[in-house]
Amino acid sequence: MSEEIDIVIDSKTYHAKEGSLLIDLLIKEKIKVPYFCYHESLGPDGNCRMCMVEIEGQKRPQIACDTFIEPNMEVRSTGKTIEKVRTDILELELINHPVDCPTCDQAGECSLQEYYMDYGLHEAKVSISDKVKHKKHVDLGSNVILDQERCVLCARCTRFTDKITHTHELGIIGRGDDARVSTMPGRKLDNPYAMNVVDLCPVGALTSKDFRFVQRVWFLQTVNSICHGCAKGCNIFIDHNRVKYQDDVIYRFRPRRNDEVNGFFICDEGRLSYKALQENRQETALLQGKEIREEEAIQEAQTLIQKYKDNISVVIDANLYSEEIEAILRFAKKINASVHSPLDVYIEESFKDDMLRSAHRAANYKTIEALHIDTHEPKSSGLLINFNHPQNFNAAAHIDFLTHQRDVPSLVFPIADYTENSGTLTNEDGILQKCEKAISRNLPIPTVIEILLKVKV
Amino acid sequence: MRECKIVSRKFDIPGSHTLEVSKAHGGYRTLAKMDEYSPLEIIEIIRESKLRGKGGGGSPASAKWTLMPQENDKNGKSDKPSFLAVNCDESEPGTFKDRQIISKDPHLLIEGILITCYAIKAKHAYIYIRGEYKQFQDILQFAIDEAYEDGLLDHCDITVHRGAGAYICGEKSALLESMEGKRGHPRLKPKHKEPEWFFDNPILVNNVETIASVPFIIQNGADAYKAYGTEHSPGTLLFAMSGHVNNPGVYEAEYGTSMMAYINHFGGGIRNAKKLKAVIPGGASTDVLTAQEAECATLDYETLRSMKSALGTGGMIVMDEDTCMVTVLKNLLEFYHEESCGQCTPCREGTGWTDKLVGKILDKRGTKEDIEKLLEIADTMNGKTICVFAPAVATVIKSFVSKFRDEFEVAV
Amino acid sequence: MSFVFSKENLLRIETLKKRYPSPKALCLPCLWMAQHQEGYISIDAIDTISEEIGIAPMEIYGVVTFYTMFHLEPQDKLNVQVCKTLSCKLCGSDEILKHLEGKDVKISHVECLGSCGTAPVMQIDDVYYEELNPEKVDEILKSLR
Repeated sequence: MSEEIDIVIDSKTYHAKEGSLLIDLLIKEKIKVPYFCYHESLGPDGNCRMCMVEIEGQKRPQIACDTFIEPNMEVRSTGKTIEKVRTDILELELINHPVDCPTCDQAGECSLQEYYMDYGLHEAKVSISDKVKHKKHVDLGSNVILDQERCVLCARCTRFTDKITHTHELGIIGRGDDARVSTMPGRKLDNPYAMNVVDLCPVGALTSKDFRFVQRVWFLQTVNSICHGCAKGCNIFIDHNRVKYQDDVIYRFRPRRNDEVNGFFICDEGRLSYKALQENRQETALLQGKEIREEEAIQEAQTLIQKYKDNISVVIDANLYSEEIEAILRFAKKINASVHSPLDVYIEESFKDDMLRSAHRAANYKTIEALHIDTHEPKSSGLLINFNHPQNFNAAAHIDFLTHQRDVPSLVFPIADYTENSGTLTNEDGILQKCEKAISRNLPIPTVIEILLKVKV
Repeated sequence: MRECKIVSRKFDIPGSHTLEVSKAHGGYRTLAKMDEYSPLEIIEIIRESKLRGKGGGGSPASAKWTLMPQENDKNGKSDKPSFLAVNCDESEPGTFKDRQIISKDPHLLIEGILITCYAIKAKHAYIYIRGEYKQFQDILQFAIDEAYEDGLLDHCDITVHRGAGAYICGEKSALLESMEGKRGHPRLKPKHKEPEWFFDNPILVNNVETIASVPFIIQNGADAYKAYGTEHSPGTLLFAMSGHVNNPGVYEAEYGTSMMAYINHFGGGIRNAKKLKAVIPGGASTDVLTAQEAECATLDYETLRSMKSALGTGGMIVMDEDTCMVTVLKNLLEFYHEESCGQCTPCREGTGWTDKLVGKILDKRGTKEDIEKLLEIADTMNGKTICVFAPAVATVIKSFVSKFRDEFEVAV
Repeated sequence: MSFVFSKENLLRIETLKKRYPSPKALCLPCLWMAQHQEGYISIDAIDTISEEIGIAPMEIYGVVTFYTMFHLEPQDKLNVQVCKTLSCKLCGSDEILKHLEGKDVKISHVECLGSCGTAPVMQIDDVYYEELNPEKVDEILKSLR
């Protein structure tokens, strides 16, 4: 059944596995096909009826999400018949829709809007008073808000809690045009992956409380990155924007599909980790809590390194990029320091689950291991140079390279966090992944490498 | 009109629902006859008899029976038990025949179940009964209990499964979803011929009356059954009549009987000596016939299909000259609007919208465009959904609007 | 969980479990038992059933709302369910509904009860009342008080 065969779509020949789903091929080959209910992670459900195509020999249009590829199959995905069918079904989809795009956060990334532009442009034929009324603002929990009137009942969200998280919080209640998505009375959507339903929702029915009314999506710039919440290395999009007269700001993380790593999803904790990332940033150099200029700090560092020569330990955060870790190693060699990266501090067994979350809460600990860096704590030393490692260690003197403020009475260098820099990571399964630079601050914070290059030893 | 009581033979006997009366009048005697045949031979007799499913679709019963596995095959389906589900979710408006069988001759159904289970090698039959039929369910359960006590069910179990109010559960795959403890959403249709599945086990779903017809055929042979009815629609059906007739009710007749002869003979003609205006021939989901069409109609699948309607369940709804057809369509659309399972977009949204449009027309707020829109939505509802609910609504709308267009136009 | 099935119902559940390939098939039977036991289906009852048959509470809740005969609230008044579908409509269900107005009962408009030959029809609890007229309705209501 899994033989590669030829199939003709719109007079062009394609190769596909016999018995595989037609809609998967259409999506893969970027042949335009509208759909709400189908999702590659959830499989077909066949309820929205939008993905109609014509198949030679079949009397009626068929849904591509329930059509299995067969030898000699001839498919038409365009043409008058199919466009009329799509237009008509879309019109039915829209009759009870509130058409409140101006206040909808989904606007700009809404399948309904997109298909309306492609197939719709119907006149409004049902007056607002005739539309079925449902609840506009249901707080489902886990930062997810439901607008039942915008819902097209594609059941992606309910299938997500049934098939992916197996937590079964969401379901469809009622029937006919009274059917709607709901939780049990008095109960909430409550699982560590809940906010993925917002991405799954093809329309504006499920929106993120965190992102609601914050930014119109068309203002956002998107960059590929990797979540640093744990060693899984889930692929993400960073959506950010620099509003006039303000600084470049991250508005959300979204999962980026990678079948080898995270599939379609990320956990909520990772998704929301962008917030803490932007708070309490270390922005200037400090000496015993007092702001100093970078040149002064470099001078001070050079003095300290000279003073504690042969009695220096370096500690590295296992979240730094591989390029940064390697630069630190070169630097440590130059100043003859011992290098450490204690990993126990990152282990959090309670965080681990059998979906994506790893107990190793360090994005690049595999690189630390691969470079044979000592994972024990440094023995008491004269000078301790800490490159953002979360622990504090005893020493006569300290230099701290920090992304975020920490209460240390030492010499502090501010360094760029991972969204302000690019680099590579190795996840816990040994997969090498790249992060792009997302944020360009009005007043840039130097990277570790930039500072180390300035320190003369 | 020739009398032909195949299923209703014992209906009028006092106490016909009891085992004692049933047995006294030949109940269960076909079980001995059954033992003379192999399961495959039973299926062959059913095939020869051309018995058609009596739940509305009218496809040959044997076609479904032959899909049930007879042998343990090597394709992994080997040790899965087979089941029978008897569809007693009678909910099609105008249809009230199966309840006659379960309350007047439940033992005939049990006998039919035993023969069917023997033929398809099932050891357990479920009777899915609509929740509202509780008082008839009690009679049926009493009969089953009697049969258990008598040892009739030693090798084949029967369990009554009560529905809870959902028309769509009469659709066979929705029925099975319901029995599996889920919302009654029809399933996507398989691409190739295969049995239905109940928790991954093969199951045959047949209507009550279909199963109740089996003992006669096995007892008397396929030819005896084919002696009634027409060539392609052999046998009889518990036709029913309701609405504006003098004697509404269920009366068994052979296929091919003239519709008007039936209405006049059993129904005593139109109530209050009015003229006939229209007949819905076989449950609400079949296209309405005008009086002139009804005059020419005979009660068989082929004739009614040729008239672009359908025999359906054979439950006729008769309407006299004073009936407002816009009101009738509104009434039917309210039914469909209430009963759509809500799974597919065209049905979920189409039933509601058409109901509202006809409501608007009925309230004299409609326009000519509304009538056109109504027909357009009907087109969108036709042939684009998982089950035949929406297509049925579509043809009902079209038949009313096209055949009684003047009434719709007067109303706008 | 404050809902507990009666001993009799627990016995029925055990018996029924042997009659199906999966305990999930007991969803509707258990809901019926719970409704008979308490008069309605409480959230507690749904949780109890969930544990009994292995279907998630939300899924059972979705089932309860799909079928018209299940109630999620206690029914304090007599529930008079009048069939309003075509045959009953043609034979005077409107008159019955009008006659019931103002009476101390809950009037439910229900779809076809499958009793078209004896229209108009209403159902109270599990019993059908057929070939109705206003006088007959009064008698029935009186006898049920």
